[in-house]
Amino acid sequence: MGTMTLYHGEPNGPSLTVLAALYETGLDADLVAIDLSIGERHGKAPLGVESAMSIEGEGPVLEVNGEAMADSVFLAQYLDERAGGAGLQPKEPFAHWEMMMWCRYIIERVAPAAAYLGNRTHGTARLKTLDDTAFEALTGAIASEDLKQRWIEVRCGDFDEAKVADSATKISEAVDKLEARLADGRDWLMGDFSIADLESYAWLAGMVSVLSSAFNEAENTAAWMERVKTRPSVAAALARARSDDPTSAWAPGPEINRWG
Amino acid sequence: MTGKVALYHWEPNANSGKPMLALAEKGVAYESHYTDLLSFDQHKPDYLKMNPNGTIPVMKHGDRVLTESTAIMEYVNEAFEGAALMPEDVQDRWRIRWWMKFMDQWLGPSFSMLGWSMFVGPSVRQKDPAELDAAIERIPLPERRIAWRKAISGNFSEAEMAESKRRVALGVAMLEKELGRHEYVASDQYSLADINWFNSTYSLPLGQPDLAGKDKTPNIMRWLRQVYHRPAVQETWTKGRTDLASRYRLVMEEID
Repeated sequence: MGTMTLYHGEPNGPSLTVLAALYETGLDADLVAIDLSIGERHGKAPLGVESAMSIEGEGPVLEVNGEAMADSVFLAQYLDERAGGAGLQPKEPFAHWEMMMWCRYIIERVAPAAAYLGNRTHGTARLKTLDDTAFEALTGAIASEDLKQRWIEVRCGDFDEAKVADSATKISEAVDKLEARLADGRDWLMGDFSIADLESYAWLAGMVSVLSSAFNEAENTAAWMERVKTRPSVAAALARARSDDPTSAWAPGPEINRWG
Repeated sequence: MTGKVALYHWEPNANSGKPMLALAEKGVAYESHYTDLLSFDQHKPDYLKMNPNGTIPVMKHGDRVLTESTAIMEYVNEAFEGAALMPEDVQDRWRIRWWMKFMDQWLGPSFSMLGWSMFVGPSVRQKDPAELDAAIERIPLPERRIAWRKAISGNFSEAEMAESKRRVALGVAMLEKELGRHEYVASDQYSLADINWFNSTYSLPLGQPDLAGKDKTPNIMRWLRQVYHRPAVQETWTKGRTDLASRYRLVMEEID
């Protein structure tokens, strides 16, 4: 099936999902750590149409058979299926539909909000370390016009207050949804552990410090986050961090939905 | 799982067309509930009881209620016997999912913005303003309320429209290139990705002649012809009620 090379950033957001999914499957891949927060994906990783135009934004790239693959949920599915079914997706069609709906909610509503707030808190300061020439070289290498625009907004610190408020609401709603989902005492969101746990945790872990108010009194969520964090695959992914706090590593992510 | 299949759908077009075509390809008979988008059927109390988000389509399978057109298609492919609409190859499966997401979340909304400003907005504007206002107030998702208001008043900003046009032109160019790389969208076999893309692109040669046509996009035209002739497509298109259905014929007269 071809050897795999995974170009990943700090274990946060989509890089965390894919690294942990890889460890869940036990498959072999060459791991190449790059700094997504200063745009090293554009230059140090191979990019094809799907990775250059990925609407996930700055996620990891998995190279297999000369093809540069992107989008964390689909990469996790790929790894699970390549391993012949590593238990990351329910087999029963309706349960599978529920997992995909949950993941869709995370990538469409929660991830854009988390990326907006995460970049506002951490990304702008990080990009000040690039001078104008270096930043222009970076944006000049980005094929997707709308992704390029998001980089420029982060570097300028140009965050719309209405979007900030809406993003905070989206994160609070996600925590409420987790609380409700976990209220019956289940360990994992879909019953059995799945990609839904990885993707939800990966985007929300960094929100605890950015928007702590959303997590007040969210006991089920706190306990679930601890379970995910200490799961061997996730712990192994987090151990690959090169910084003290990988939850502060952010790069432009998916855009906020243009019209609902 | 056994049980009756019922589908709540609008025209065999965009999101409604996806489960309609997937079910037809699998040979699954279903009870058809035509849900008129232009009369806001999807925001009426009985419909909202079934799908609180007020989006079309909805599929019922026995007691199960499913929403989101691409996710419904994946369910249909997994839950029913019949032709496989996803290949076995795991890398093809990844690519198919990628192209469907790209349509659903990046390109599709731009197609919708153009389509709504040209078709849905003008069609709905004929209705009584008070009735329209009440209908919009019943829309559960705030983002959708804003979109409907803009569509009805023709109020998409110039910047929004320009960005949608940019995306549509880029998406068409990407599709043309992809269909030079593969026989079908994202793989060499007919799959859910083709159903997904076909539903939003079948009328391109008619609606966007400056972007797609015999000379400009030969790969797209080849692919449209292949998909158009599938029995499932022919059968499904007879379920259309608006003049969207007659547009199919015009497109195909052009490419056959």
